[in-house]
Amino acid sequence: MIPETDRREIERYLGYKGIHAADPQISAMIGLCMEDIRRESSPGAVCQTFPLVWEGEEACRFAGIRTVSRNLMQNLRGCEEVVLMAVTLGPGPDRLIRRAEVQNMLKACVYQAAGAAAVEAWCEDVNEKIRKEAEEKGLYTRPRFSPGYGDFPLEVQRDFERVLQMRKKIGIALTDSLLMTPTKSVTAVIGLSREKRPCHKQGCESCGMAGSCPFSGFRECEARRNPYQSQGQMLLTLTSYDPCGDGG
Amino acid sequence: MKRDLRERLGKEWLFFDGGMGTLLQEKGLQGGELPERWNQTHPDIIRELHVRYLEAGADVFNANTFGLNSLKFPGEVEVLASAAVKIAKEARVQAGRPDAYIAIDIGPTGKLLEPLGDLSFDDAVELFAEVIRAGAAAGGDLVLIETMSDTYEAKAAVLAAKENTDLPVIVTCVFDGKGKMLTGGTVDSAVAMLEGLGVDALGINCSLGPEQMLPLAKRMVWRASVPVVINPNAGLPRNENGQTVYDVGPEEFAAAMGAIADLGVQALGGCCGTTPEHIRRMVETVLDKPFHPNTPKYYTVVSSFSTAVTAGRKPVIVGERINPTGKKRFKQALRDNDIDYILSQGLEQEDAGAEILDVNVGLPEIDEPRLMREVVTKLQGVTGLPLQLDTTNIQALEAGLRYYNGKAMVNSVNGKDEVIDQVMPLVKKYGGVLVGLTLDEDGIPETAEGRVRIAQKIYEAADEYGIPRKDIVIDGLCLTASSDTSAAKTTLETVRRIREEFHGHTILGVSNISFGLPQRQIINSAFLTMALMKGLSFAIMNPNSSQMMAAYRAYLALADLDPRCEGFIAACGDMQITVNSGTKAAPAGETAGGKEGAMSLMTAIEKGLSGPAGQLMREALASRDPLSIVNDELIPALDKVGQGFEKGTVFLPQLLMSAEAAKAAFEVAKEAMADKPREQKGKVIVATVKGDIHDIGKNIVKVMLENYGYDVLDLGKDVPPEVVVERAVSENVPLVGLSALMTTTVVSMEETIRQIRQVRPEIKVVVGGAVMTQEYADRIGADYYAKDAMATVRCADEVFGTGGES
Repeated sequence: MIPETDRREIERYLGYKGIHAADPQISAMIGLCMEDIRRESSPGAVCQTFPLVWEGEEACRFAGIRTVSRNLMQNLRGCEEVVLMAVTLGPGPDRLIRRAEVQNMLKACVYQAAGAAAVEAWCEDVNEKIRKEAEEKGLYTRPRFSPGYGDFPLEVQRDFERVLQMRKKIGIALTDSLLMTPTKSVTAVIGLSREKRPCHKQGCESCGMAGSCPFSGFRECEARRNPYQSQGQMLLTLTSYDPCGDGG
Repeated sequence: MKRDLRERLGKEWLFFDGGMGTLLQEKGLQGGELPERWNQTHPDIIRELHVRYLEAGADVFNANTFGLNSLKFPGEVEVLASAAVKIAKEARVQAGRPDAYIAIDIGPTGKLLEPLGDLSFDDAVELFAEVIRAGAAAGGDLVLIETMSDTYEAKAAVLAAKENTDLPVIVTCVFDGKGKMLTGGTVDSAVAMLEGLGVDALGINCSLGPEQMLPLAKRMVWRASVPVVINPNAGLPRNENGQTVYDVGPEEFAAAMGAIADLGVQALGGCCGTTPEHIRRMVETVLDKPFHPNTPKYYTVVSSFSTAVTAGRKPVIVGERINPTGKKRFKQALRDNDIDYILSQGLEQEDAGAEILDVNVGLPEIDEPRLMREVVTKLQGVTGLPLQLDTTNIQALEAGLRYYNGKAMVNSVNGKDEVIDQVMPLVKKYGGVLVGLTLDEDGIPETAEGRVRIAQKIYEAADEYGIPRKDIVIDGLCLTASSDTSAAKTTLETVRRIREEFHGHTILGVSNISFGLPQRQIINSAFLTMALMKGLSFAIMNPNSSQMMAAYRAYLALADLDPRCEGFIAACGDMQITVNSGTKAAPAGETAGGKEGAMSLMTAIEKGLSGPAGQLMREALASRDPLSIVNDELIPALDKVGQGFEKGTVFLPQLLMSAEAAKAAFEVAKEAMADKPREQKGKVIVATVKGDIHDIGKNIVKVMLENYGYDVLDLGKDVPPEVVVERAVSENVPLVGLSALMTTTVVSMEETIRQIRQVRPEIKVVVGGAVMTQEYADRIGADYYAKDAMATVRCADEVFGTGGES
């Protein structure tokens, strides 16, 4: 069962900013859509830990992946292991959205936002378990970092499939363009380090939206979860509200 | 000497082999390395594993082709498949088991099929066909389609097997602990579809251990008529130091499989985590047990990807509204390829209580096979209700059956030899529950006796074609009571006799009876009740009619089919009985404006009240022409909200609520205009570019453009550049809107623009999407950048020079 989602976050995804909140009618719809999403979700998660090997400052390797991504390396600096994780809500939310697109576009958008918030909450839940397990071994977790963030290429999605067997284990398949289906899915790398380092806005600078992203300032690392967010695009950016940057 | 597998399958115990992956990893297969590569690099290891399973007692063993397809091994499928079968043959000799059968092992492609993912059904069939052809040519004895978590993918594989070989086909699916497949399928729905497709055996594998699989195996034996195969894992997977481990040892596995054998399954084996020792112990345990062949079941089942509807005491409602007969608006939608309208008709009926949807998209001037395929595939993307394919066009029927994800109802065959010979082979191939109309070359018999005779003929024809009688449902046909007052009596007598003499199921389109009479719903609902009393199994009717649904629910309550009358109370408790057909009242809670007439159409739209907006439009139409209402009230109201949105005082949800209200009003206007040529501001194409599957932003743009009076041609998502160009040219469209989500897909946006420029430089292109900026838009050569849906409307107004009108 996916954990409770933050209603305020759904409102933000719907474009409400600052002090503005949804009126009672929309608010009621958000409540119903949240319930539907929870009911229709079949959450799955898979993760695995790998040693992290540094090739000086130039590159690092883990799980058979060699990356030269500066943003990722910055995130993983000082780590000795990484966890690869993939989570999904299953095909249910996508079906709810497709269905609503025929009947009521507003509802489709609310499902989209509620689904995005739910997969984020589920992601957070799994991340928390990873954090606790790591701490038992005296390791600290870094903020999760997804393929498609900054200069960490989307092609790594293929490695996630190779290593985690996402299709077989939790039903995530990649499209030709390396997006994930079901769309309410997330992949990420989490670095494990002996040193405790506070989570900071790692991703803001990496996505180039620093200062202009409507999400920054709400919560730690908020922008990191919306790498494709750009200013002033309330309508069309709804397409990007798959947090954690599976790219979709 | 080896006997034909079909002579043994289901007639004696047969054993399948166990897991391969875990054993290969022990032999050094790296995580992520593709096992099928080892057919070339380590044939000795593969062969040795086969030998160990054969020595352990497996009768059917899998050639190492599970993950083999040209997505993973482009250009190498034939070589690797032949190598796999060759290794298996050598193992058979080495183990001294010439009696064993080599399965061409077919696993999932690794991609999800449309609409869930981006693999088309045709491509899936071809991917499977390639491996099956090569495996069969190399000497495989059967096709084992396994680990299927999506019935659509399983269907593609079965068709690939049947269309390319005569080998036996066995399918095993994956279910979770709750008995669901990934895409929502159940044991019942999977059995219905696969038996319809004519598989030789079916079953369950992977995901669960024998203990968790037992209740599902039990259900399967209860529902299936063909032999059942059960291949569980060695328990539930557990993660230990990054390795997946399974805890059920050989002895425990064998004991649990003994319990499954006692359920009456016909074949057993193992999957992940099982070893030759697991299989050996299992064989020893099970061989001592009495074998029972599976028994034929007589359920009449219609299924979708997720739902199985079984005919029984409780009559089934088949929604009749997806049908152009007598509906101007629907005909217009078919001509305009307005699929969303058709889908919305389906969803409305589902919400009203339909359990199956009849799909009739036949109009003389349209390409019915193409439309049938499109509507069927789109419908199964949005609803889990099973479909009834209703057509007299045999190509359209085949298109519907082929692309349908489940076991469809087929409407219809009749007593004419020519029609029987066209329709029945298709039902035999794809499966289906076939409606048999009691008419033949001489027309509709006037007596029940005559109609029963035709039913008899249809049953016998089904026997000849190998279609089980349970899959025939007889339509006793309703003629209009106004022209012959004995019509209803004859029909009801036919229903009774089919029920009593053939133990058959019946179906009726109950609305015909009242044709030509006033207050048709009174007659229809009375006739429905009478027919249900005679044992009618399926009623084709309008579930949106509250009177018909009330009659149906009252019947259920009185026939002891509605425990504690809960269904009736829930549905009819607050019902206001009006005998006024036609107009639909606004849903409760949407009359926020107070008394009728207190609110203007403009206010209703600004406030986003769909019910009142539709009603007010209907009232306004009494005195004014639709177009002037749209231009003078609808668009200005929407514009006001749009301006608020642009200023940041109105938020997206309110904008969309107003858009929905405008749409509801517009829909009423469209109905009024359906028979007249429509004046549109102009035609716009919208598409989400190739590689991109997120199109909600594009869909918002579409709704807004339509509300502003544009004719929008929506090409969908993941649209190749060539398709955009082709349609832009053939439809002579001045403006194309493209959306893309990611930097990686902006590349295909750029390519689309390049191809448009090459062919028609005068076509304007507007782009939008999360990653898009003005700078980006300029760089890829777009004419306009729209930051949101309102901006797209403004852009269209500029291109068409229509901005001033509103």
